[in-house]
Amino acid sequence: MRNTTRRAYAIFALVAVFFGGLIFMAYSFVTNADEWASSRLNEHIYKYRQLSTAGAIYDRDGETLVASRDGERIYNESSAVRLSTLHLVGDSQGYISTGLQTVYRPYLIGYNFIDGVYKTVKDKKGNDLKLTIDADVSAAAYDALAGNKGTICAYNYKTGDVICMVSAPTFDPLYKPTDIDSDTSGKYDGVYLNRFISGVFTPGSTFKVVTTICALQNISGVSKRTFNCTGKYVIGKQAVICNSVHGKVSFERALNVSCNCAFAELAVELGNEKMMKTVSELGFNKTVDVNGMQTSKSYFDLSKSTKLDRGWAGIGQYTTLVNPCRMLMLMGAIANGGEAVIPDTVSTHTLPFGKKAETDKNMKLDSKTAGTVKKMLRSNVENYYGDWKFPGMKMCGKTGSAEVEGKKSHAWFVGFSADSGFPYAIVVCLENGGIGFNDAIPAASKVLQSIKNNR
Amino acid sequence: MMKNKAKTLSREDKMRRKYRYVDRGFILLMLTIFQFLCSLPVVFENSKFYPINALCFFGFTAFEWIYVAVMHLVFKKVNFELEFIAFFLSGIGMTLTASVSKSGHIKQLAAVIIGIVVYDILLWFLQDVKRVMAVRLPLAVFALCFLAGSFLFIRFAGSAINGAYNWLILGGGKLSVQPSEFVKIAFIFVGAASLDKLLTAKNIYLYIGFAIGCIGVLFLMRDFGTALIFFATFLVIAFMRSGDIRSLAFICAGALLGAVLIIYFKPYVAARFAAYRHVWENYDTTGYQQVRTLIYSVSGGLKGLGINNGRLRYIAAASTDLVFGMVCEELGLIVAFAIVISFAIIAVYAIRTSRSAPSTFYSIAACSAATMLLFQTCLNIFGITDILPLTGVTLPFVSQGGSSMICSWALFAFIKAADVRTYPKVFKSA
Repeated sequence: MRNTTRRAYAIFALVAVFFGGLIFMAYSFVTNADEWASSRLNEHIYKYRQLSTAGAIYDRDGETLVASRDGERIYNESSAVRLSTLHLVGDSQGYISTGLQTVYRPYLIGYNFIDGVYKTVKDKKGNDLKLTIDADVSAAAYDALAGNKGTICAYNYKTGDVICMVSAPTFDPLYKPTDIDSDTSGKYDGVYLNRFISGVFTPGSTFKVVTTICALQNISGVSKRTFNCTGKYVIGKQAVICNSVHGKVSFERALNVSCNCAFAELAVELGNEKMMKTVSELGFNKTVDVNGMQTSKSYFDLSKSTKLDRGWAGIGQYTTLVNPCRMLMLMGAIANGGEAVIPDTVSTHTLPFGKKAETDKNMKLDSKTAGTVKKMLRSNVENYYGDWKFPGMKMCGKTGSAEVEGKKSHAWFVGFSADSGFPYAIVVCLENGGIGFNDAIPAASKVLQSIKNNR
Repeated sequence: MMKNKAKTLSREDKMRRKYRYVDRGFILLMLTIFQFLCSLPVVFENSKFYPINALCFFGFTAFEWIYVAVMHLVFKKVNFELEFIAFFLSGIGMTLTASVSKSGHIKQLAAVIIGIVVYDILLWFLQDVKRVMAVRLPLAVFALCFLAGSFLFIRFAGSAINGAYNWLILGGGKLSVQPSEFVKIAFIFVGAASLDKLLTAKNIYLYIGFAIGCIGVLFLMRDFGTALIFFATFLVIAFMRSGDIRSLAFICAGALLGAVLIIYFKPYVAARFAAYRHVWENYDTTGYQQVRTLIYSVSGGLKGLGINNGRLRYIAAASTDLVFGMVCEELGLIVAFAIVISFAIIAVYAIRTSRSAPSTFYSIAACSAATMLLFQTCLNIFGITDILPLTGVTLPFVSQGGSSMICSWALFAFIKAADVRTYPKVFKSA
């Protein structure tokens, strides 16, 4: 009898298991609640798996980009604004996984563990989100893409505020094309990708900025060096072809005219290790978190390269692929004396005394090198592209025409304004869009002009 | 000295009794207020008045008061802890049942009242251990035949529901009964009775045979959740009796049974448990219910969205298997916490009363009944939240369903029987 009753305590073990399970359950509830509650299957928030009840998203002037009305998401009335802000704002179905409507779901639906979705259901709306972008500038940037695939993004390199971020191809969330998923012509290739965040492209000559940085850091007196361009830089039986015969050029002039011979020579001289070290120090092999959107890593690897490959890599060809956001941050870092401010698209959390710009710790650039490169990039515009291309601005920058097999080259322009009263950096990447000088510079100029006009 | 002590004790006793009396009324009042508030959204759904449901709610509250009053004043009962817990849990279950289906309300109320009647009859019956011993063999035979007969009937004349042959549909679908729920009562009754003082090898082997028979039929029915509950209960009963060769036989039989069944039924078990820990990948197929339960459980927050405002209610089996998720969503995590604490209290109560129970029979019965309830609670709550595989067992008292409700009340009788205050006379003679 006594034994039997003492053994009753064994049931305490079951009670303990029960409590253990409850603690585990409570833990998984607390840690996963945001994700679960904002799941597309939650019919408090979603109708037919489309976002229906959530907060509004405004541009910096308070213009509504998207809001909920009677359990439906209503987008901006201008189709240009809808098309140009789609990839940043995101679609209601969540196909664009980096869109803020997807990334900020728990916030937008107003979920919190204490109240659940009570307020959202009661008020039929969630928390609003105010962005740093300008709807009109975005529309202008979409226009500047001129029907090309690609991306344009401009940001304030001091505060990080993104003023426009457009990606094409895009679609109108109000009238989603019915052939978007069945199309085989390629016009919707990567339509759900925000190319600024998730894209990687051959950089072409814009990568010469990186080679320049590496040369300045590793070859003393490189600034005073001259190069002899004969139209090709011969390595063994093959050669890196230049866009022209530049003859004797200084380092600065070589960057102005984008001389392939000079930069192939520098890259070969610098070698694998130094090039890879600089690329890594500039954060190209890392991702960066832009308001919860993870950018793609750039790709640069010389470990299995031949001498010729190195020459091509020095001018942004070979297997190199860069992420547009990383290129923009590189411009920001050069403009800022080495501080790479991370782009920021959300201003809702701005504190009354102003927010502190966040810099990317993975990106290292000494201020001396930054200063020298800045002068050289300024010289590009002043002495080669022409300041008249950017009326009323003091631009620095570099073009690129990245060769891709069997197709038109990517037209690039990366640059920034040296005017401290107009601290904007910009990246333009037109996929198979042509020549940087001819196609990307006018696009960049249009957007910068629009930023000026919309101040 | 002794006299003095006795005097002070009795005075304290009196005070305690007086205090407890107030306590009882107070608890019942609180319960009534809670149930009244819960009933409002059901009775006045969409600003329409539902008189039958109002009557059901009123009837239940009146029943609670009358029951406690009669038991206290007429039968001089003093302890109502278990009844209060059962009232609390049944009340929540009934409210949610009524909110999901207005017509299901009467059935659920009837189940509660039948449950209480069964509970009291069983309590009266258990008072006499000799009577218990006399019926255990016929009961075992009857229960096993009932279970096996039901299985054969369902297998050949009925049909599987959700892949299991565990529902007996009678009267052209008007009445559906889960035979295993009633066999649960017999399982504890027979188990505890076989292992009391009249401990013989024959008794034990008969009980092992009975247990293997029950669990085997449950496996054939593919009601793995219930089979597991029976198995756990069997182990507890075996453990309570352990300490000799015969108990070793128990453990061996248990292990062997488990191994054989698992090997034999592996494909079915594997198929049913495939979604376990992968529910989000199978959110529209095998993980459908679990995913919805998780989403809507956290949607309610601490205070809940209010009765009728949930979304889990539109998912199949919301008021039965998934009822705990409905509680989380509509009544909030605080009430859900109160429910789980109630089940823990039941187990602790059973352990404490069984310590001072008048005989081993009561001890084992109370402990095994508590095990059964708590284990089933674990399988239900953790199953629907994907912490354990989903087995489709009900949450005692709270889930909609007559068989489950009646069985839950009956199991409470075993726990209550072990309390020394339940049978003052039996305790005195022992």
